[in-house]
Amino acid sequence: MNDRIASGFAPFVIPFVVGMVFVLGYCFYALVKILLQLPREDRVRFLRSLVTPRCIWKNVRDIFCDCLLHVKLWRRNPLLGYMHSSIAFGWFMLIVLGHVEVMLFVPHRIHFLYYPIFFNYFVAETSETIQGAALFFLMDFFLLIVLSGIALAMIKRVRSRWFGLRRTTRPSLLDRVGLYSLWSIFPLRLLAEGFTAHISGGSFLIVPLNWLFRQFLGNDMNMLPTWWAYSAALCVFMCVLPFTRYMHIPAEMLLIPMRNAGLTIRHPRRGLARVEVFSCPGCGVCIDACPMTVKKANTRDATVYLNRQIRRGNERRIEEISDKCLLCGKCTAVCQVGVEGPMLRVAQRATRHYGLEPDFSGLDTAPVQNNMERFEGAPEGERVAYFAGCMTQLTPGISRSVESVLKKAGVDYRFIDRDGGICCGRPMLTAGRFHQAWQLIRKNSELIRSSGCNVLLLSCPICYKVFREHYRLEGIRVVHHSDYFHELMEQGRLRVEKGDLTYVFHDPCELGRGSGIYEQPRRVLGCAGYLTEAEKNRRESICCGGSLGSLTLGFSQREDITKAALRNLTEGGPDVVVTACPLCRSTFRRYADRPVWDLAEALDKQST
Amino acid sequence: MKENVIILGGGIAGMEAARQLLLLGERPVIVERADHLGGHVADWHRLFPDKSPAEDLLEGLRPGLEGAEIHLGTTVSSLNALKDGYNLTLSDGSKLHGRALLFATGFELFAAERKEEYGYGIYNQVITNRDLERWFNTGKDSRLSGRPLSKIGFVHCVGSRDLKAGNPQCSKVCCMTAIKQAIELKERFPFAEVYCFYMDLRLFGKKYEDFYIGAQRDWGIHFIRGRVSEVAETLDGRVVVKAEDTLSGRPLKVSLDLLVLMAGMLPNPSATALARQIRLDVDDDGFLRSRDNLAGIIASNRPGVFYAGACTGTKTVPETLAEARSAALAIHNYLQDAK
Repeated sequence: MNDRIASGFAPFVIPFVVGMVFVLGYCFYALVKILLQLPREDRVRFLRSLVTPRCIWKNVRDIFCDCLLHVKLWRRNPLLGYMHSSIAFGWFMLIVLGHVEVMLFVPHRIHFLYYPIFFNYFVAETSETIQGAALFFLMDFFLLIVLSGIALAMIKRVRSRWFGLRRTTRPSLLDRVGLYSLWSIFPLRLLAEGFTAHISGGSFLIVPLNWLFRQFLGNDMNMLPTWWAYSAALCVFMCVLPFTRYMHIPAEMLLIPMRNAGLTIRHPRRGLARVEVFSCPGCGVCIDACPMTVKKANTRDATVYLNRQIRRGNERRIEEISDKCLLCGKCTAVCQVGVEGPMLRVAQRATRHYGLEPDFSGLDTAPVQNNMERFEGAPEGERVAYFAGCMTQLTPGISRSVESVLKKAGVDYRFIDRDGGICCGRPMLTAGRFHQAWQLIRKNSELIRSSGCNVLLLSCPICYKVFREHYRLEGIRVVHHSDYFHELMEQGRLRVEKGDLTYVFHDPCELGRGSGIYEQPRRVLGCAGYLTEAEKNRRESICCGGSLGSLTLGFSQREDITKAALRNLTEGGPDVVVTACPLCRSTFRRYADRPVWDLAEALDKQST
Repeated sequence: MKENVIILGGGIAGMEAARQLLLLGERPVIVERADHLGGHVADWHRLFPDKSPAEDLLEGLRPGLEGAEIHLGTTVSSLNALKDGYNLTLSDGSKLHGRALLFATGFELFAAERKEEYGYGIYNQVITNRDLERWFNTGKDSRLSGRPLSKIGFVHCVGSRDLKAGNPQCSKVCCMTAIKQAIELKERFPFAEVYCFYMDLRLFGKKYEDFYIGAQRDWGIHFIRGRVSEVAETLDGRVVVKAEDTLSGRPLKVSLDLLVLMAGMLPNPSATALARQIRLDVDDDGFLRSRDNLAGIIASNRPGVFYAGACTGTKTVPETLAEARSAALAIHNYLQDAK
């Protein structure tokens, strides 16, 4: 391989260099800005994680799997996965191999930013090229891979259903500019390398193409214009990148280490939140996932649009979208990047100033304290405190069944809020009123500690999640009844007879996606009867529509959500819909055409 | 030969309409699904505002029905519209043809179990307005027998004006019924404390307000403005009611021996199903839609089909009877015009 141009420069590289310098400069500026926006402790934590070997390894692996190979997309839909990984990984390999070529053949040019990109233009083939044949082959191979990905991307624009997407976003004008320039980069590269291959050499793709061109084009007049076009396409893409959804490419590479460092969203627009918003590729998977979008009018309240509005700074819409959400977390569960839509919204709610700030610090807990059933002394062994919470108080059928099961299993328990208790704090947390939530949490923690228990049993997954995540109850095990009853069965303390009813289990948001409990309730039901599965279940279970998360969704607007969730559950014709959340149960009962039970009720009927 | 006028429902609306039609020389045929006439009124003990016995009302209607064809314990399996009237297939397999059709299908009582937070069907101390009337009538109710009642509560608007229960309508009669039942319980248990938990008191009719003032002044019944949030059972076999007294702005907790739920009125689903068979309009509240809500309450969107009573919305007894008479006259005129 020889240098063909002595200066190692051609004017057409200028657009590329401009674009590259701009995008690198922008990313550096954004990185510094975001690091400065992080609260001090988060910044220290993040920077420290970057030099921790275990974290480094995790970051590299995650970036490779998520950003280049798109492993999660493959699982969702192989065609979609192939499309993304072919473009991302193929392009990455073209860049890496370009550098290898430069280092191998013209090592003195390695400090030229543009050399690996326009390598074929600057070199001439020599007799020793054969030694680089494998490299040439790989270059052509990956170019072909990228081109196949681009072809699929074009098909996806018209046939999104083939890729498992029912609804997708409408790209904005700049997004379209980015999209078309991205599409044109690789065909232009193919043409440019094709016109040059008789000088630079090449492999199975560009050499035959060159031969073909030369059959009817007698000169090299097309060579330079196509290199110009290729460089210009790159320039356009890189210049618009910061203002389009393609910003997700650099942003995700920052998001992954930040998440691995354990950072959480503290502010709706700054720091991690900003990185998450920019990491959103705008694919629109969350539109189909969002339970609200059964009503077409709510389509624009999906997380992808929240991200878009945050980027645009449309305050009115940001507030509206933030308040409407049910916080079911399904958008995060299906999101390839893992944008935490619900957390963004809660953070947004937390910025609001209310004229009236309730103060719970003066809440008198003495009446509750005095009437509470408690463990006197500290008897040996398990001391279970059952906390029904307000939702189970409204569904006494559930608390009765829980008590009945506990009695059958001979559990030593106290129903600590039989005569009333204090809110777990969840409604205040979802409303972003953390101060009030903490007041309640502190009061409640005292009450629970004073019960003398060492196990806190909950039948409401909303309480369960809050107790697990926000309470400091040292020495007390927090457990949801689905988990606890499963344990009782495993230990043989509860005998369950298999009935002949068919059940379908609805995963409550807070229990499934929120707390990762999927198997235990299913095993319990499997013993009590026959279990069928809904089409969308586990991580993709559809919110019942009753969620406390939404601040503005009206009662009638929730009806369609509930009905859609019920359709999903009853399609397989189960006799009973079973859930493990009092709120889901009440919500479903309103419209269900068959019985809706809590897990405790199903178990109580079949156990002795 | 006179043509049939088919009356769906043998409650007070159907009975009064049949009586009037007979007086007008028509041939009414009553189809009633229960094994007796009288509908919900037959389950009731006394009626407001004069606490007159429900049985007296029915007793006054029955003699006028001599000569009417009455199918008891019968439902309508299918209903279709013909050119010259309506054809019915009954549950016993027989067929009926009528020139005119009167829906006197009434209402369905809200199933109080659906408001699970009030604990009906879970706690023995919780009953409905109908259960109480039955107990007044028969003296038989395992939940009430042999217990001294020293504290009694009434919950107004159970399943009425409640979006979450799927019924935004006011049931109109429960405020007065609750006051009446409260007084009746006070008559039986003079030393009991009686509480009524209400969100609004809608006392619009003749003598209603006097009745309410009397309940407070003469009977010492406590009226608390605020909805009951939840009901729980205590270890000593009572129920604890939690509510908010919105006038004093304080939460409130009271232990009761008996809690009576004033279950509201819902559209009768079998009437809606029949209406669909001949494409009668159904209102968005689920009741049958009158041609207009001022002068045409008893008229439907089809010729020869008429309405009386609670099939078009919640009604009191006198309203129902007035509509039944009005419908009878309208049917008579319709048949005369058709000749």
